[in-house]
Formats: sequence, structure tokens, C-alpha cells
Amino acid sequence: MSDIQSALHKRARALLENGDVEYVIGWENARGENKTRPAFIRRAEDAERLVWNRWCVNSTAKYLLHDRWPKGKIAICARGCDTRAINRMLSDGQVKRENIYILGIPCAGVENQICRRCAHRNPLVYDELLGEPAEEKTDFDRFEKVKEMQAMTLEQRRQMWEDEFTKCIRCYACRNVCPACNCRECYADQYRTGWQGKQFNAVENRVYGLTRAYHVGDRCIECGECERVCPMDLPIMLQTGRMLMECNELFGQYECGLSDDETPALGTYNLNDADSFG
Amino acid sequence: MRLKKEDLNKILALLAKNRELFVPGQVRGIKQFKLWDGETPELDGENTVLPPKDILFPKTEKMYAYKTGTETEISEIVDAPERVIFGIRACDMHSIECMDSVFIREGYEDSFYARRRAKSLIVAVACPGAGVNCFCESMGLDPDAAPGADIFLSGGGEFYGVTANTEKGETELKKWTQYLTDGDVPKGEAHCSLAPAMSPELSEKLTGLFDDDEFWQEVTEPCLQCGTCSFVCPTCYCFDINQSSVGDEGVAFRCWDSCMFSDYNQNAGGHNTRPTKKQRLRNRYLHKLAYFNERHGMELCVGCGRCINKCPAHLDIAEFIDKAAEVCHD
Repeated sequence: MSDIQSALHKRARALLENGDVEYVIGWENARGENKTRPAFIRRAEDAERLVWNRWCVNSTAKYLLHDRWPKGKIAICARGCDTRAINRMLSDGQVKRENIYILGIPCAGVENQICRRCAHRNPLVYDELLGEPAEEKTDFDRFEKVKEMQAMTLEQRRQMWEDEFTKCIRCYACRNVCPACNCRECYADQYRTGWQGKQFNAVENRVYGLTRAYHVGDRCIECGECERVCPMDLPIMLQTGRMLMECNELFGQYECGLSDDETPALGTYNLNDADSFG
Repeated sequence: MRLKKEDLNKILALLAKNRELFVPGQVRGIKQFKLWDGETPELDGENTVLPPKDILFPKTEKMYAYKTGTETEISEIVDAPERVIFGIRACDMHSIECMDSVFIREGYEDSFYARRRAKSLIVAVACPGAGVNCFCESMGLDPDAAPGADIFLSGGGEFYGVTANTEKGETELKKWTQYLTDGDVPKGEAHCSLAPAMSPELSEKLTGLFDDDEFWQEVTEPCLQCGTCSFVCPTCYCFDINQSSVGDEGVAFRCWDSCMFSDYNQNAGGHNTRPTKKQRLRNRYLHKLAYFNERHGMELCVGCGRCINKCPAHLDIAEFIDKAAEVCHD
């Protein structure tokens, strides 16, 4: 058993026993090998159900929005990406820091392709850190995939997205797992206003995909959960990645979820901003 | 009667004559039913990611067109071509029987579904081998039987056993005679990977869990409330009716809906009868395993395992069945 997992058992048990927190969000084994799912531990004697291994792929942070007014504190297991998600939600005024107790987990990457391009293997914010810090990596190009897409001709890209949006089944898993998708009511659910047409076809799917991309593009924390959960394997990160690359080009080094008081690039007015598009 | 597997493409050519023939294959990297393109269909391996239900119950179905003004004009839209669905497995065949019960047999006959169904010939094939999350046998099915199909191709080895189960199937088989020979075919050897403790007794006991808040909280907490499980499910049949207008013209359509979505239970005045994921997922599980049984005499889950394969939160209906069985028998 990993050191981190045993530390996690000990601390989760103590936090629950002392009544410091109402519950602990982490991961537990699901049926079968190589599979875990988000766990919500409420009793000290259940603390040992928590696991930490390379199959812990699910983001934990979004669950904070499922309990916006908790009775007590929520302890949450958070890797680098999860802490960026928490910072995102703190910056967006969606959760209160005093409601959360962060058990920081250094993470060398789990069974998810996205981890190869992770620049934050250590939690950025925590109340306590479990285990030793992980070695950070910088030997990758954050926008590698986006650049590959940009190298395609306009017609190739148009065809590619036409195909992808034809494939989309609009299950909204990408939205529901995304920490930047934190509106109380999504525009797509405002059915009486009817922003989002209900037909399932490439046109309506594109309306949804592009609206979401623009809405989260300057707040995306690059956790890749949207792509992981997509049942139709759409390369959703290319959309937000394209937005982020543009933000980097226009506004200098730009990454989201690094602190808890960020204003998004497109939500900030600055007289010195580039206006090359004018 | 039996059919040599190497003659399959000749049979497909017969089936495709003057009809739209759907077979399992890859479309943009996703295994699903697609129009036959002359290639050998992908009958082996895991089942399709998307179920065949879209062929009979389209994601979006235009119902009628309208024109408003001094006089309102309404014109019916009928879109039910002659079709063949080839290569569906026992689980998916049973899912169509579930939909038949909803849309044709029990009470109201849904003309849109009934028309498509009447014009479809279904040729099912023995399951070649279970997927990692399959459990159709626990739901009372046999991977090597599809009594509801017009024609069933059974067994393993180099031959298919050929049986017609309906009049439509028998008529069709007459066209196949030159490829059919006498002889037996061994029973298919595919068996399910999972064996959750489902039973008619459990189905009856499940509604007794309705008020057990702690149980449902634990079961539903990881749910992200997306519609993935509903949309990959071969039996989820809920739809929403809406319209799309431009100026004084438009169409009314119906499209798939999911009881996982927040607006599904939104009532006039803003009240939501299932406000949280606890109520929504409870409804989904109980509808699949208990409520449907009360009215239609069968479960609404065929054990295909698609929802398990695709749930972003790794929820697992087979695990749910076992957990519920444990609680119910305590």
C-alpha cells in the first residue's frame, strides 16, 4: 500500500472521528480490477475504503458544487489538477474556502493520457500534504495537439469538426464534469428561453460545443476531464486548448487555476491589451 | 437449416436489395449500426457502443410541419423506409421487445414507432462473446437465442443455424434457399462476464427501498447527472416534444430525453419533482428493475453493460443489483 494511501486512511479517520469534517471526498475501488470511483466517506470506520493508486482518474473537485451549503466542512483529496479546479471555483465565487479542508496529494500521473502534459503534479493549495512532493515535468509542449490541428488546412479542420459534432450525442457529460462549468443554471438548460435547440443533429451539437468552448475557454484548468468522460471520444480539449493558446499569444503566459483570485482573460478590461484583431 | 459464414456477404446483398440495410461497423471511430457499404460487418468483439434503438426510435424525429398565418396549415411527416437491422445480439433484440411493449402493445399505439417497426426486418446473430460488463443471462436471456427476431442466426463455428421466428422471417428465408443446407450447428459458447443477483423476487422487493434515504445517498452520490447512461441504453425510451420555427413556418419534432436531466421533471410553475440526483438516479434504477416489470412483465434492463462501460463516474448497475439484493435480503 502506498505511503500516501496509508496517510490518507489515518488522516481521514482522524478528521471524521474528531468531527472536524462532515465527510471526505476521495476514491474507492469499484467492481473489477483497475477501476475506482469517487467516494464519499462519512464514518471514521469507513476511512479505509479510500484508495490512492493510478486508477484514481476521476476529478474530485466538481462534487463540491453538489453540496454548496454543507452542514460541516468537506475534506477533499486533491491532486494538482483538483486543486486547480478548486481555485477555479473559488475564483468564480462558487465555493467558500472555509467550507473545504484540502488533503493535498502529490501525483506523478494516473491512467489518463492528459497526465503526460501536466505541469502541476503537486497540489497548489492544501491544508495538509500527504506524502513527498512529486517531481514536476516540463519536457512537453502544452499545445502540441492544438498545433497539430492548426497545421491542418481550413477545409480539413472544417470537415474534422463537422464529423466530431455529428458524432456528439449531447449527453452533457463534458459540462457536468467540468469545474469551469459552474453556472447555477446552464444556458443549455434554459429551455423556455430556448438558446439551445433540442434537436440532436450536427448543427445543434455545434451550437452547444462552441458555446461551451467560448464560455470556459479562458477559465479551463486543463484537467482533461471533458475528454475522459466523452462517450463518443470527441477531442474537446482542442477547443479550450485553442482558446488558451490564443490567450497566451495575446496576453502573455496564461494558465488558469493557479490562485484563488483570478479574473479570466476575457473578463478583464485592460487598456494595454493587444488589439491586433481591430 | 444452416448457412456457411463465408456466404454471409451474399446474404447481405440479398437483404440490401431495395432496402436500407444496417449492420454493426465503425463510424468515425465509434462502433455502431451503419448502412451496409459492402464490407463484412463487425459482428465479433464487443457490442456496438451505441445501441440500435436509433433505427426504430430516432434521436430526433420530425412529426409534422406547420405554417401559421390567416390559416394554419399542418402537414404530416412520414419517414419510415423499408429497413433491415442485421447483426443485433440477444440483449439488443430484447431491448426492441421492451420498446414494442411501450410503443405498440400496452395501450396507446405510437404511430411513428409502429410504422418504422412494421417496415423493419430484424436478423439477430448469436453473441460471439461477452463484453467485460455484460450480464444478459442474469436478466433471463440466452446469448444464443433471440426469439423476438424475424430471423435468428445461431451457434458458433463455421456455420450459422438459421431459424425464422415470424412470418416475415419465413418469407425472407425463401430467398436464401440456394445458400442454406441441412445440418446441425453447435450451441454458441458465449457466456456473460458478470452475474449480478437479479431475480423476479428482487424486482418485487426493490420498491420497498424507495424511502431508504441513506441507501440512495450512498448509491447515487458519485453520479454527475449527465445523460450518458440513458443515451447509450438500448431500452431508455423517454422523449421530449418541441418545435423549431423560422418566421411563420416550422416543424414539431420529438427527441430523446433523459430522466437524469434537471429539466426532465420541471413542472409548470417551476416545481421540480425530482430535484436532486438522489431522486433521479433512484428513478432510473427502479424504472429499469422494478416499475417496468409491474406494467410490462419484464425488466427494462437487458444486461448489455453499455451504461457501465461509459459512465463517467464509474457507476455500475450490476453492482447496484448486488448491493440492493444484499439490503433486501437482510
